[in-house]
Amino acid sequence: MKRYLLERTGQLVITVFAVMTLTFFLIRLLPGGPADAIRADLIQNNPEMSTDQINRRVEAQLNIMPDDPLHVQYVSYVSDLLRGDMGQSISQGAPVTEIIANAAPWTIFFIGTAVMIAFVIGISAGAIMAYREGTRFDNNSTVTAILMNSVPDYIYGLIFLWLLSYQLGVFPTGGRYSSSTEPTVNPLAPVETLTFFGDVLYHAALPITAIVFVAWGGWALGMRGNSIQVLGEDYLRVARLRGLPQRRIALRYVGRNAILPMYTSMLITIGFLLGGSIIIEQVFSYPGMGYYMIEALTRRDYPLMMGVFLIITITVAIGVYVADLTYGLIDPRASAGDSQ
Amino acid sequence: MSNQEALDPTASSTDPILEIRNLNVQFEMDRGTSRVIDDVDLDIHRGEIIGIVGESGSGKSMLASSLLDAVVEPGVTTGEIIYRSPDGESIDVLDLSEEALRKFRWEQISMVFQGALSSFNPTMAMREHFEETLEAHGYPVGSGMERAANLLSDLYLDPDRVLDSYPHELSGGMKQRALIALALVLEPEVLVMDEPTAALDLLMQRSIVSLLADIRDKYDLTMVFITHDLPLVTKLADRIGVLYAFEFVELADTESILREPAHPYTRALLNATPNLDAPLEEMRPIEGSAPDPVNVPEGCSYHERCPLATDICRDQPIFEQVTDTQAVACHHWEDIDEIPLTTEVDQ
Repeated sequence: MKRYLLERTGQLVITVFAVMTLTFFLIRLLPGGPADAIRADLIQNNPEMSTDQINRRVEAQLNIMPDDPLHVQYVSYVSDLLRGDMGQSISQGAPVTEIIANAAPWTIFFIGTAVMIAFVIGISAGAIMAYREGTRFDNNSTVTAILMNSVPDYIYGLIFLWLLSYQLGVFPTGGRYSSSTEPTVNPLAPVETLTFFGDVLYHAALPITAIVFVAWGGWALGMRGNSIQVLGEDYLRVARLRGLPQRRIALRYVGRNAILPMYTSMLITIGFLLGGSIIIEQVFSYPGMGYYMIEALTRRDYPLMMGVFLIITITVAIGVYVADLTYGLIDPRASAGDSQ
Repeated sequence: MSNQEALDPTASSTDPILEIRNLNVQFEMDRGTSRVIDDVDLDIHRGEIIGIVGESGSGKSMLASSLLDAVVEPGVTTGEIIYRSPDGESIDVLDLSEEALRKFRWEQISMVFQGALSSFNPTMAMREHFEETLEAHGYPVGSGMERAANLLSDLYLDPDRVLDSYPHELSGGMKQRALIALALVLEPEVLVMDEPTAALDLLMQRSIVSLLADIRDKYDLTMVFITHDLPLVTKLADRIGVLYAFEFVELADTESILREPAHPYTRALLNATPNLDAPLEEMRPIEGSAPDPVNVPEGCSYHERCPLATDICRDQPIFEQVTDTQAVACHHWEDIDEIPLTTEVDQ
């Protein structure tokens, strides 16, 4: 077990490092660069400036040296990173670490909530559909799940935004929380804290619903298929003959064995959704990771781009890592000892 | 067949624990009604091991399931299965309410069935299987687990090791024996076994069969052993019933079945039994194929394959006593020696 843990951790580090290296060079291959972006900006705003002046202004604004040879940039990037410094964002004028630390909790909050809700709804719906396999309820739910699963989340987002925010005015059109609410997380001021949390949920409600609308169907269909398979297993028949209570059969026999194959994909999904929320965050002007990634891309902001990519990679890698290490705990057949 | 009760003196001389009368199991299908158990009568005596043999699709598993009223949907079971408990009470298994049936199964009659190797929840340790069974039936877990440990030792398993294992950590033979222990943990009176050895190798089959005989003696069990393997069941059973096309064609003590089988099908089965000592030319496959449950031949269901068949075989034969302990449903049983027995099966 110890050896497996070590090996697995080593793999994690290597994966993150490899992706970091790969994205570093891929981003440098994009046409244009931060210098071009700033130059274009300066020329547009100061038509009277000479080329020399502009070049000097550009160099002054850029504290990284985009014109250094690639390997020099790479070495300095990696050594900075190992010290926890992801560099200075060119477009936002703040350290990348700070921007990500500010944005990530919001993305994690609304994506995490959405995934959890979708998972719970999907698993329950899938299990009920399997128990009633072939009934009208099952057929209708299957069709609904497939339809809802086939529409991208931003389409739901746009519909919600148009109908509920602009036409009916029931929900806010964007942002993390109302400008009138003071962010308070303080056990000594419970009323203010609760108001703040309520306001945050109110703002996140539409993006969360949009994601849930898409994601639940996938889980439901997966769970339905797995449950139907488990319901046909010999051990289920024996369990029924042994007179076990229905509840125990549903949870300990069907539920557990049907969810098992979906556990890993759920953890990986959380990782992917962190980066996959770009369009939803744009639609709802929700300043999370995806929002800053778009900013960085349009402004050729290498350090911020690298930072966001890196965080997404690390989350996915950690998701898989956690899934691998804990899978043995929930499925005795896959305990680490056997795979050696 | 319905005359069997009157004609079979063994039924009255011993104490039956299960009386099966007019048992039918039917499945409604698009192309007709499939009768997979056709009007079967059978007495199972307290303390005996009765073997039920038949080829694939002869209704063996359905008979086993119906003893616990556990025929899978959408099968319909009709008739009577009277269970006489040791304290003299009689109940009709097919008449029980859902809750009474839940209690009845495993407490009075339990079952080890086909596919024993996948009969355990793969994500649960063996101990939990025993504990949940005891809890579901309101038995004290402490003494119940002691009994489970004793049962496992009787089956030559190390109780602590087995109980702390997950199903995938046990071999096929160990799982099979653990399942027998699980079936006996609530001290049932009757143990029904449906092809319990089908997935095991020959050595393991033989050793499980001898274990079962010991277990029967120690725990005063009645056993119903259902198999396609005639030579195997003769090593264990006191009586053997031969099923053909969803009804019994012969029912007799093991010795008579082996030495003086009175039904052409039983003879054909014995002659078709592979035996290392018998020369190949003496082994006889049975010509033709088993009847379709939707469309069973009129009269004696075996007459289309039977070398002795005459016109009279278009009428349903009744069960006749050949000796005190042997009954057969055949019009020509007196001429049965026209079919010689070519192979010998040891008891």
